[in-house]
Amino acid sequence: MWRQFVGVIRKEFTQARRDRNTLRMLFVLPLVQIIVLGYAVNTDVKLLQVDVYDADRSEASRQLVTQLGAGDYFIPVDRALNGSNVPLWRLEERFREGDAQMALIIPRDFARDLQLRRPVKIGWITDGTDANAGRTGTGYASQIIQRFSNDAVGLHPNVEFRSQFMFNPEAESVFFMVPGIVATLLTMLTLMMTSMSIVREREMGTLEQVLVTPISSVTLLFGKIVAFVITAMLVMAIALAAGVFWFDVPFVGSLPLMVVLTLLYLLSTLGLGMFISTITHTQQQAMFLAWFFSIFTMLTSGYLTPIANMPVWLQYVTMVNPMRFYIEIVRGIMLKGSNLWDLYENVVALAIFGTLIFSFALLRFHKRTT
Amino acid sequence: MNGNAVEIDHLTRKFGTFTAVDNLSLSVGRGEIFGFLGANGAGKTTAIRMLCGLLLPTSGTGTVGGFDILRQSERIKRTIGYMSQKFSLYPDLTGRENLSFYGHTYSLDKSTLKARIEELAELLSLSEFIDRISGRLPLGWRQRLALAVAVIHKPTIVFLDEPTAGVDPVFRRTFWKLLYDMAETGTTVFVTTHYMDEAEYCGRISIMHMGKLVEIGAPRELVLKHRASDLEDMFINLIRPQGVTDAAN
Repeated sequence: MWRQFVGVIRKEFTQARRDRNTLRMLFVLPLVQIIVLGYAVNTDVKLLQVDVYDADRSEASRQLVTQLGAGDYFIPVDRALNGSNVPLWRLEERFREGDAQMALIIPRDFARDLQLRRPVKIGWITDGTDANAGRTGTGYASQIIQRFSNDAVGLHPNVEFRSQFMFNPEAESVFFMVPGIVATLLTMLTLMMTSMSIVREREMGTLEQVLVTPISSVTLLFGKIVAFVITAMLVMAIALAAGVFWFDVPFVGSLPLMVVLTLLYLLSTLGLGMFISTITHTQQQAMFLAWFFSIFTMLTSGYLTPIANMPVWLQYVTMVNPMRFYIEIVRGIMLKGSNLWDLYENVVALAIFGTLIFSFALLRFHKRTT
Repeated sequence: MNGNAVEIDHLTRKFGTFTAVDNLSLSVGRGEIFGFLGANGAGKTTAIRMLCGLLLPTSGTGTVGGFDILRQSERIKRTIGYMSQKFSLYPDLTGRENLSFYGHTYSLDKSTLKARIEELAELLSLSEFIDRISGRLPLGWRQRLALAVAVIHKPTIVFLDEPTAGVDPVFRRTFWKLLYDMAETGTTVFVTTHYMDEAEYCGRISIMHMGKLVEIGAPRELVLKHRASDLEDMFINLIRPQGVTDAAN
């Protein structure tokens, strides 16, 4: 039995080594994916172009504009002052052409009214097509303007609001993305490898030759699985290293815990891959189904959009998606240093899913090959 | 182990309403070269698959190497070697890697396996080709390699499903010499073929037609019995559908 097992693992690695293209794809793609996605799927709101229509042209109004541009959130450009001199009525066109995302309108007599402590109105117009950026930008702006107002009238509020982002002080979205990318890579990789490898053996007739030998189909399967798990762990190591060293994503938790819980997660994806292999006849079918399941689990995992933002019925759907629990685990361990007890609900969910899916698929597989 | 190598009793296999093997009974003695003949679709492969434990019969019983095909398929798998009609080794592995993998599936230990690979390479004149990617070998060499894999564990019975299909005559001749050598050492060879010259090399042959056994015996005796000019003539007469005459063809 042990000899048979060793034989299968060795065979799988020899085949993998021989297939240079797939090998290259296996190790270069995760790198490319994490670097491209790390930059592309960036929901940080920074460097927004703000058109400033300053009708007051006072010391105070200039000060407000300067404060607005102090951080790296906004790039204020005075439209009424510089050569281009865009009148206010062209604002919509500016938005439409994407030249500006926000506009600040400072009325005449802004400085005078401020001095006289009369109520002052300031206009802030936002291009709402990118609702996320619009909302965040408006929030930043309102804070800056509030602070300006307090300073201008020498008013110090009784209640001072001080906020801090824990685990991610700069609110970098890449911190949120990298664990998701790692989980997605693992999911797609193991799903496709498992389902296609078994179907390929059946399609090419090699399975039949193996099944006339005394090796049991389950030994064959477990040998393959061990080879896939080793590959998946290597790919994860590459992706994690890219996240940590390239994007400076912190890894504050325990690496051994991460490895153990990743193995627990792989139980679900390997099981699902096996299940796919029992309901498909060709590699193409297997590939298509593996792709479908990958996309489905990805979209309902909270990888791109927070689960809390989904409609309630969809939130229930995410409860049957093991990746959802795994992503929380990865984020917890990497960013917050969560331990096993902090994560126990996710761990229990993964254990239940993994056991159910894996044993169900194994039974089906066993039945189909004997 | 005593008794016949293969013993089949009223073996039947249906796929839906189609009966691929219909009430097949025959026995093959130890060390015999048995030719299992029949037209395409006659049910030969289905019968062999049942004997190798790849497929369960719908009804009927049988033993291979003295083991029951219904209940002892694991024991049978250790006893037999199988070469399928279609090249079924891993085409992306070399001959040696294939042999090594299959040696592992029979749990051969390292030194035994190594010695056996050398022995087979010598015996089948494979040395020159054994480290090449098997999928890129010419057909004849691929078939020799497949035979080497089928006998890596020194089985007492080998099932060869059209081992020489598409192979040139010189190769076929050497291939059959190998089968003779194997039979001489006591190995039972259960082989299917479409070449009548090969059928004549067999100790006994059987002819299947539409799932049924229509004739069995030594090739020469069968030709005499049917007053045919040769084996091919007899074969065609036996499997020709009723009522179809030469003129209609």
